[in-house]
Amino acid sequence: MTISSAPDEALVLAAIEQVWGSMLFATAEAWPSDRVADFETGVQAQIELRGDWNGRLVLTCDSEVATQIAGAMLGLGPEEELPELDIHDAVGEVLNVVGGSVKGALVGTCALGLPGVSETSGAPSRDDSFVVSWGDAPVYVQILPDAA
Amino acid sequence: MKILIADDSKVMRQIVLRTMRQAGFGHHDFVEAADGAEALDKVAAEAPDLVLSDWNMPNKTGIELLRALRGTGNAVPFGFVTSEGSEDMRETAKAAGAMFLIAKPFTADHFESELSGMLG
Repeated sequence: MTISSAPDEALVLAAIEQVWGSMLFATAEAWPSDRVADFETGVQAQIELRGDWNGRLVLTCDSEVATQIAGAMLGLGPEEELPELDIHDAVGEVLNVVGGSVKGALVGTCALGLPGVSETSGAPSRDDSFVVSWGDAPVYVQILPDAA
Repeated sequence: MKILIADDSKVMRQIVLRTMRQAGFGHHDFVEAADGAEALDKVAAEAPDLVLSDWNMPNKTGIELLRALRGTGNAVPFGFVTSEGSEDMRETAKAAGAMFLIAKPFTADHFESELSGMLG
């Protein structure tokens, strides 16, 4: 992976593609910019990077997508159900592994935080996000530097 | 043998356990800890033969756990299973007495490669 001084879309997308493929046995693809990517109730995970670059990586997806991601991680069948706590845990861990991969490709970044996960209503603005696919559903990714 | 899996993610502890089974080590006994402090207590209480630990955990990180163990003379074989696998971390882990560092995402092959000599 290319070494950078700040995370950008290409770097984070490469990390997501790796995690989707190896942990979730799925393919991540860029979501067409002209395609609607809305949902009403979602799960949002975030993790901090501290060092030469300071900020957060944020991953937001529909609740059903979060359930599917957790099921894929654990190799569950479609009828098997997971408690919400485990679904949040799984989505946070996906972002944790993405964050670890991004951290490894950054010069000077020295600390990765612990992932935090919460419920969210609606998708983030597409102005400060890029969107990748989970099957036929959107997953929003934000690279948010701390406010100067 | 008894193996302690320390990770603050319950889902990840389940995945490590599943991967150990896939790697052919499922016949061993497994115990779990949800953070570094609990892992330190479990090492004292359960006397595991191997510790597989995450690095980034609340209460006590994996490297703090390892240093605490070695600081009290406990030489239990110790390996990291963590989302970060930089050269710096590998060197820090080795210097503190870790046998290996497996970076997430991992496969059963990674566990087999690191542990077949010890676990058979």
